[in-house]
Amino acid sequence: MEVALAGAIFLATYALIATDRMDKTIAALLGGTLVIVLGVVSQEDAFAAIDLNVIFLLAGMMMLAGILRRTGFFSWVAIRSVKIAGGEPYRLLIVLSIVCAVLSAFLDNVTTVVLIAPVTLYIASVLKVSPLPFLIAEILASNIGGTATLIGDPPNVLIGSAAGLGFDAFLVNLAPLTIIVFLIFLGMTRLFFARDFAVHAEVRDAVLALDENEVLNDRPLLRISLMVIGATIGGFLLAQPLGLEAGTIALFGAAVLTILARLDAESVLREVEWPTLFFFVGLFMLVEGVVQVGIIDAVAHGLIELTNGDATVTTLGLIWLSGIASAIVDNIPYTATMIPVVRELGATGIPIEPLWWSLALGACLGGNATIVGASANVVVANLAGKAGHAISFGSFLRYGLLVTTMSLAVATLYVFARYLS
Amino acid sequence: MSERTRRIRHTPVQECVSLLPIDPLLVHPGDDPLEVMHRAAERPQTRLLGVVDDAGVLVGVLSTEGLAEAVVVRVSPETLIADIADIADAARFGHAVSASTVEDVMVTPATISETATIDEAFRRMHARRLSGLYVIDEAGRPTGYLDLLELTMRYVEALEDDRPPVDPRTEA
Repeated sequence: MEVALAGAIFLATYALIATDRMDKTIAALLGGTLVIVLGVVSQEDAFAAIDLNVIFLLAGMMMLAGILRRTGFFSWVAIRSVKIAGGEPYRLLIVLSIVCAVLSAFLDNVTTVVLIAPVTLYIASVLKVSPLPFLIAEILASNIGGTATLIGDPPNVLIGSAAGLGFDAFLVNLAPLTIIVFLIFLGMTRLFFARDFAVHAEVRDAVLALDENEVLNDRPLLRISLMVIGATIGGFLLAQPLGLEAGTIALFGAAVLTILARLDAESVLREVEWPTLFFFVGLFMLVEGVVQVGIIDAVAHGLIELTNGDATVTTLGLIWLSGIASAIVDNIPYTATMIPVVRELGATGIPIEPLWWSLALGACLGGNATIVGASANVVVANLAGKAGHAISFGSFLRYGLLVTTMSLAVATLYVFARYLS
Repeated sequence: MSERTRRIRHTPVQECVSLLPIDPLLVHPGDDPLEVMHRAAERPQTRLLGVVDDAGVLVGVLSTEGLAEAVVVRVSPETLIADIADIADAARFGHAVSASTVEDVMVTPATISETATIDEAFRRMHARRLSGLYVIDEAGRPTGYLDLLELTMRYVEALEDDRPPVDPRTEA
């Protein structure tokens, strides 16, 4: 009875999230509290399942990125990119893709693309070219870049905390692959977009007239923010030797920056995306419900039966399963659900570390397949639509599917060569 | 609250529209924002422009602020980029960048009927943060323009009437 109840609540919550029939945070909180109210899981166990390290890491990074956003840093970087590219559209697409990938590895993907997109729209308007190739490339680059680090994408934050894998472990294991995937992606953009750009020299000069210094609102705050964010990232590398969680480092960095910049605490806390954090809270409780009744255990054993317990097939299959699932449903609930499955798979004797990397790679890179695959995709599509340049599901899919297939194929080869051969 | 105050709150809109010399300024969806800016500059009192179709029906309104953004973005984009802090700002900027006609800049019509009260008019302006409303007939055609100042003047009258007479001794 409990199994059926937990399964029904879980599936109903997933359906509400996937179909947008209810705000996803409310759906997760409803599902997470229902498993307690209906006695599937005890209140103590459900509360204990909430991973505070994940919540604190996300909250701290949101505060740091929010403060940096006030300084005009992102717009400054975008305009500098235009100058570096010399106003030549395809070169600009490459530079903006690199900027989005690098910033997304260390800061929130949505913040990065939302603040780079306005400058992109302006440049495209002046150059009289479509902004869509730029925006699509920025989305794809952002999701690829976010795969590289512990803090780059929420699935990595979840996996890192659950598996005890630190910032350095992600950097050593995922960053090399991310660089390879990103370089191939840059090559693909030439085939996708290079022929779309033909501009006159005079309009090129017009975009070079943009003054990046005009968009910097607060230089002292920019200096302090970059120093503290740099120190926080350095702190992530030292966290494990010091016996500290990444969440502690992030919150410490946010508190130090708020004090040094003499900012009002209330305004800094407004930068936190509370709906996202409560989405995680609801998911943690909901997933604990399905774990306790044995559903996750059954899923794990089902997967092992499917792959005959073969470590290579299971590990590589997980990359594709995660990639396909993340293209269709939100990769955050997917990852939250799969973490206990991976634990179970590990308990059966399959080497667990490659499984964690497979889950991270599939969940992060799969988000590129469709326009609804990741938050950054949805936000930029929304923004472009409001600016009169709608990105349709089909037009994104053409590029997203190819880039995702390439990414997952390269990830498969990488995981096989590095961990399984 | 005095009887006069109560009465003023229920003043029909049509009694207010001619309190100040602020007239409707009507433009068309296909007009060029630069040309419209010239026309708006000739009538600086009207801070909310009405956009009408060929049949004269109000299809949108355009604040001088929104119009100014569409013009400023072409000359000094950095000024607006510097203010972008969130998704809403970014969307607004993107909207201004792509605006080539009035239709691209206008927002949904903000209207009121002639028989509505000034209290209703104020609520509508306040909810949409607008400085005026177009008064329309049953066919949706503008028949007048009610500015926030015209409306507020009626409230000022009520407050002045309610004010207790000044004691000449305390004034000294």
